[in-house]
Amino acid sequence: MDFEFYYSQEQEEFRKEVRGWLKQNVPTDLHDAVDPLDLPHETFRRGIDFRIKLAEKGWYAATWPKEYGGGGLSSSHKVIIDEELAEYDLPSIAHGDTGNGLFGPAVMVWGTEEQKRSFLPIVTSGKSVTWQCFTEPEAGSDLASMRTTAIRHGDEFIVNGNKIFVGQLWDVDYLYTLAITAPDNPRHNNIGAFFIPANLPGITLGHLDLISGDGKRTIYFEDVHVPATQLIGGDTDGWKVTQTSLELEHGGSGRAVDGDKLMDKLLEFAKSTTRDGKPISSDPENQDVLVDAYIGYQVNRLFGMRNYWMRSMRKPFTYEGSQFSLNRKTYGPNLAEAMLKVTGPYALIKDQPWAPFMGKLEHYTRDAIRIPHPGGTVEVQKLIMARRLGVSRTREQGAAYI
Amino acid sequence: MDLSLTEAQELLRNAAADFMKNEAPKTVVRQIDENPSGFSPEMWRKMGDLGWIGMLIPTEYGGGGRNLMDTAVIYEEMGRAALPTPHHSSAVTCALIIMQGGSEAQKRSLLPALATGQKIMALAFTEPEYGWGPEAVKMNATKSDGGFTLNGTKLFIPDAQVADQLLVAARTSSGGSPESGITLFVVEKGASGVSSRALSGFSGEKLNEITFSNVNVDSANVIGSVDGGWSILEPALDRATVLLCAYMTGAGAQVLDISVDYSNTRVAFGTPIGRFQRVQDHLIDIVNGVDASRYTTYEAIWKLDENKPGATESVCVAKAVSSESFYNLCDSAHHVHGGIGIDKDYGLFMYTKKSRSLYHYLGDPVYHKRRLAKLLNL
Repeated sequence: MDFEFYYSQEQEEFRKEVRGWLKQNVPTDLHDAVDPLDLPHETFRRGIDFRIKLAEKGWYAATWPKEYGGGGLSSSHKVIIDEELAEYDLPSIAHGDTGNGLFGPAVMVWGTEEQKRSFLPIVTSGKSVTWQCFTEPEAGSDLASMRTTAIRHGDEFIVNGNKIFVGQLWDVDYLYTLAITAPDNPRHNNIGAFFIPANLPGITLGHLDLISGDGKRTIYFEDVHVPATQLIGGDTDGWKVTQTSLELEHGGSGRAVDGDKLMDKLLEFAKSTTRDGKPISSDPENQDVLVDAYIGYQVNRLFGMRNYWMRSMRKPFTYEGSQFSLNRKTYGPNLAEAMLKVTGPYALIKDQPWAPFMGKLEHYTRDAIRIPHPGGTVEVQKLIMARRLGVSRTREQGAAYI
Repeated sequence: MDLSLTEAQELLRNAAADFMKNEAPKTVVRQIDENPSGFSPEMWRKMGDLGWIGMLIPTEYGGGGRNLMDTAVIYEEMGRAALPTPHHSSAVTCALIIMQGGSEAQKRSLLPALATGQKIMALAFTEPEYGWGPEAVKMNATKSDGGFTLNGTKLFIPDAQVADQLLVAARTSSGGSPESGITLFVVEKGASGVSSRALSGFSGEKLNEITFSNVNVDSANVIGSVDGGWSILEPALDRATVLLCAYMTGAGAQVLDISVDYSNTRVAFGTPIGRFQRVQDHLIDIVNGVDASRYTTYEAIWKLDENKPGATESVCVAKAVSSESFYNLCDSAHHVHGGIGIDKDYGLFMYTKKSRSLYHYLGDPVYHKRRLAKLLNL
């Protein structure tokens, strides 16, 4: 058993190469915003410019096959790239989006060869932004109850309906979405998955004003004519396709890179802030809170590592993806509570000179309220776990993956 | 990174699982537990024949020279069976202390008998002012002719009822830091002035009260240096702790299997109860507890075996998580089972008892969280 990554001489050389290249190519003034809503459009575009360069090196979709625009590298190389990128505070768009994270893997499993050749280079080049758009106003946890329709007329589908709580603040090029293609078919056998250019006539994007401040959007489809070539898999394969994406989103991809910057910041704040001449970390009650949060972080890290290892070893998944997701969704809010207990109102303000860490704690206080819900709520993760433990009405295994 | 067992460890696990299935079914485990000695000489002999008793002890002292991870494989399976044996007290905890601090002569004279199981040794550390830190050692050992004289009471000592020898921690000087002034003694249980009484109650191990009344111990039976016992105990107990965590992980995994099985077969309101989401919630708490215990334990074991930095921190995390998880997941299992769960014949209570006694043994979550706070410089 081994909890560390070991790197060959060749891989250590590769690390040097990555480190050197990043030093040359990451703009020194390219930083993420504390609150995604404050990310300037220019910074967003520069993030994309950077990832295009990364893609040209083969380091953006590093482990994907070269014939689809990937880097054809091993998962160890990918970990090295991720570790080196983690040294920089880049906007998240510079690392990827749901195009290479969730859509691509689904195409790899379910797409026809032709679909792979046409769709995958779009996301592996880094040039285009893709949003996964599944949730609807009346289809959240019960995703299959979606109402958006895509009715086939010859070589195209006419799409009508709307999606909510999806996407990000700035530009988008493609929408990876689901719609009912066969209204008379039984549930789950009536859905198609699509890769829709976001600039087609009839698509309207709106902004939501959410406490989490992560720039989520509404999308309206009104008689949108989508070429049938934008379908992934067959007309009614959508549910299968989406299971591969959801398995990943539900924690099946795991997490190999260590570290929780917020946990570190909380410990740093507690050790360096004094009351009555003593650090607040020396208070026994604060110690209880901090140590419990720290143990929660360790367990969460280990679940992520276990899942990363299982996936890289091609081990069959049952409940493990949802277990990691569930754990994140409880650990995250617990960490926010620990912050509030230890720092007090400092966790609630954005203004200098009083806001610690440029207001990161304030943002997390809000964001943690959101954490239990997207990508399958706590309750949905539990439903999936019960199925995978074999006690539910529905017995199931993990979705197919590459 | 590789979180799988080696091929050899897989073989060991299969052998141990077969052994537990054939030799330690719940009826046998129950009989051992109900016997006042809590001990089966037959089981002990069979484990010895398989080379499991001394597996952690170096080969030059008659053991198997295995590492903690190999041993943990057996511990998980023993936990799955809820098997009571004095193995952890004798061939792990006491053996590790002697390996850590004993002289070459002491290792040669003491370890081979522990490795074969011919002799059983128990650690007498805790006292009426119960605790696992150095400050909890209050019993006095005063210097006397050619050695020391022990007076006082050790309390809640597992496996002393079947032990031949006791490894006693006593205070030989005071006034300094709690860590200094502790000395370790090997005492024959039959020595004059030693009396032992098994305490009855709801504990996974038989707990004993041991009184020392003017017990003379020769200086040759001091392990390590006089006043220097804590520096031997601390690293040895860390290693012993992770194997206890492996036992709790295995026990928890069995509780999960029992509970999933029951949920699929017990019918109420016309359907297996596992279809009720409130029952599922309990099962999910159980599996989350087992896995949290498993991976914190594996990481701590890996760090100890490979001499990685931060091993003590990981031991604290593992014991805090394992104690809490095992306790809570047994409660969840009782919720799943209702009445049948408290029926002794059903057997769930064998695990529940363990979850209560191992919660404290070698330090409860509060103790290990305090240690962790120190290690994090809070």
